Amino acid sequence: MKKLFLYPLALTSFLFFSCDDDDDIIQVTQNEIETPTEYVFERDGESTVSFSGQTTRLQMAEEMIPAFFDPSSSTIESLNAMYAHEEGASNFSDDALNSSGKNIKSKVATSIDFFASNTVESAQIQQDFEDFIAGQVNEVFPAWDSLAEPGVPGQIAEGSTPRYVSAKGLEYDQAFVKGLLGAMMTDQMLSNYFSTAVLDAGQNIENNTNEVKDDGKPYTTMEHKWDEAYGYIFGNAPDAANPLATVGEDDNYLNKYLGRQAGDPDFEEVPQNVFNAFALGRAAIVAKDYELRDEQAEIIRKEISEMIGIRAVYYLQIAKIQFNNDNIGAALHDLSEGYGFIYSLRFTRNPDTNAPNFSSEEVDGYLAEMLESSPNGLWDISFETLDELSNTIAARFNFTVEEANND
Amino acid sequence: MKMKMKKYIIVSLLTFGALVTYSCSDDDTVATEEEGSNPTFDRGVMLANWADNIIVPAFTDFGTKTSALEDATQIFVDNPTTVNLESLQNSWFNAYISFQNVSLFDVGKAEQINYRNRLNAYPTSVSKIDSYVENESVNFALPASFDAQGFPALDYLLYGLGETNEEILGFYTTHTKADSYKTLLNGVSQTIHSLTEEVITSWTGPFRDSFVTNTASSVNGSVDKMTNDFIYYYEKSLRAGKVGIPAGIFSNDPLPQNVEALYKSDISKELLLASIETTRNFFNGEHFDGTTAGIGFKDYLDFLNSIKGGDDLSVLINQQFNLAEEKAKTLNDNFTIQIGNDNSKMLETYNELQRNVVFIKVDMLQALSIDVDYVDADGD
Repeated sequence: MKKLFLYPLALTSFLFFSCDDDDDIIQVTQNEIETPTEYVFERDGESTVSFSGQTTRLQMAEEMIPAFFDPSSSTIESLNAMYAHEEGASNFSDDALNSSGKNIKSKVATSIDFFASNTVESAQIQQDFEDFIAGQVNEVFPAWDSLAEPGVPGQIAEGSTPRYVSAKGLEYDQAFVKGLLGAMMTDQMLSNYFSTAVLDAGQNIENNTNEVKDDGKPYTTMEHKWDEAYGYIFGNAPDAANPLATVGEDDNYLNKYLGRQAGDPDFEEVPQNVFNAFALGRAAIVAKDYELRDEQAEIIRKEISEMIGIRAVYYLQIAKIQFNNDNIGAALHDLSEGYGFIYSLRFTRNPDTNAPNFSSEEVDGYLAEMLESSPNGLWDISFETLDELSNTIAARFNFTVEEANND
Repeated sequence: MKMKMKKYIIVSLLTFGALVTYSCSDDDTVATEEEGSNPTFDRGVMLANWADNIIVPAFTDFGTKTSALEDATQIFVDNPTTVNLESLQNSWFNAYISFQNVSLFDVGKAEQINYRNRLNAYPTSVSKIDSYVENESVNFALPASFDAQGFPALDYLLYGLGETNEEILGFYTTHTKADSYKTLLNGVSQTIHSLTEEVITSWTGPFRDSFVTNTASSVNGSVDKMTNDFIYYYEKSLRAGKVGIPAGIFSNDPLPQNVEALYKSDISKELLLASIETTRNFFNGEHFDGTTAGIGFKDYLDFLNSIKGGDDLSVLINQQFNLAEEKAKTLNDNFTIQIGNDNSKMLETYNELQRNVVFIKVDMLQALSIDVDYVDADGD
């Protein structure tokens, strides 16, 4: 993780260097852009920040979680209807969500960079989430009031908390939630809204440079696209201008795990790094410095991708401790989290290649190993398999298994 | 074992001055000392003391209390009178206090059957209990029922149904679901006793020997496992469960509804004090009957000459137990009242308890070369 800490240092020396370099006008301009401490941007006294669509989707995703635990009223139809909500349908407890024309499914695996010309895979991924729903309803709901055991779905204790697992020990709700934070939030943020194909589409650069606003809106298109990326991680914060005050508590998706990073000494600076990059990138758009904007997007791509990798490895490693202590319920829970994070790996992005850190085939292989490498899936997965997967995943990133593990 | 001894010496050299003097004055024989003639702490003796003089007697005693509880419940169910209700409440109280003597021993069968979680998960779920009564059906083996059985469920059923015993009695006599209430009450008491019997049967069977002879210094060795259970209990059940969580240490506001014995309400302090005493006695290896000081962590630390800041670590830990106990004694018998009137006293008690977490979880584990084997649950 040393490289992370070098960021501020590297930036500082770069700044000093460019200060001496009076001829280089562009870089001198960069120096004048300070990182805002709050995500507040205004034009003529009016806020130009807007991400209500992302907040709506985060809240829809939040409402799906309790619905996974409600066998008396949830059905495949009702859960799919929440997932692929249609305007006006009463799928949610919040009427504002019901009247929205937005939904989750249409933003699953649909980033312009990764899926615009990859629609077969996109459709398959959208289907995977419906399969998680079907698994919960068809396999786990009928066994809701019985004890799980290897090869048999049902409930199992983690302390005094019941966990509901499939025959192979998988909690479909974990697969859904931890998979969705990759397939929707991460994919949209890193590979759609940060994509130059979106930020710079059409006349966006020219309009932003000349401060030509969207019809009837206070913001330029480019400003708004950047804010939409921001909304996928901070869009449910009570004070979205200062989201770090409550980071980790504002949703059960990316925000939650960004908060977790703060609890690990190896990664405690990550939430601030991510916020700073969002704020500086947005300030760069206001200052029409597109190079600086893209540098900030790269920082976020790296941090969010790594965060998903870290969680995947962390849960696989922690599960070994739980197995050693005969806390089978806890082990299955951790492995189910890990399964979801592994699912999300295909939406992470390597800033050097701009490709996913892991191909779909690779991720499918890991998921199959989780569930198919032993007779009863997660129940009796070998420690060798967990270590091998952990090492393979960590090797693609800039952290070690040890660093991910000592949370 | 040889590797372990080396580790002790390395740790000692690094951490404590005392052994340095010892090794310096004995330069010629260090090798031989290391090779085997160095006295080693007999973990087996400590394990036997734990099993034979503490754990088994504590469970056996508790078993008589749960048996009395089961009997008193049956008597009340057969004949629901005020006198029988009071007698049952009395049996519940005696058993609940006695439970504080065994809750810590979450090894073997107890660990397997989720003993502690099934006997003392609180706050209890009133809505689940109500639905069991309504549906006249319950399966106490299901994890989803863990927070609707055990002592906290009885707390609700014996004290929480009404304001007075007369009102409470009505639920078992004139209420339209009186039979269902009686069946549930009986079921909860019987389950407490039968789970306790299971644990006792296991300890009086071959498990005792396998526990005592498993002297290995490894994650699966009995000392390592029991040490982790001890610390986990102290940190999670005692410090957090009984004090920290209701005092709001882990939330934005205090959670008075999370106190132990919410409905009986005036015994939270007594339960806490009993739990502090159990953990301190276990640390010192004190026999359950209170007459003899056997071999425990205290002796192990003294054997290793564990010093912190110039003081014996075992002395520091005992002093800290006493400080926490003194602070706890100043609390109101009823923690709901204490939290409402002056939560700062709860927080002060928490702070004293927390100081021993550092001594035990950091200093003691380092001295004993034992790794923490548990991870904090995610809470999701």
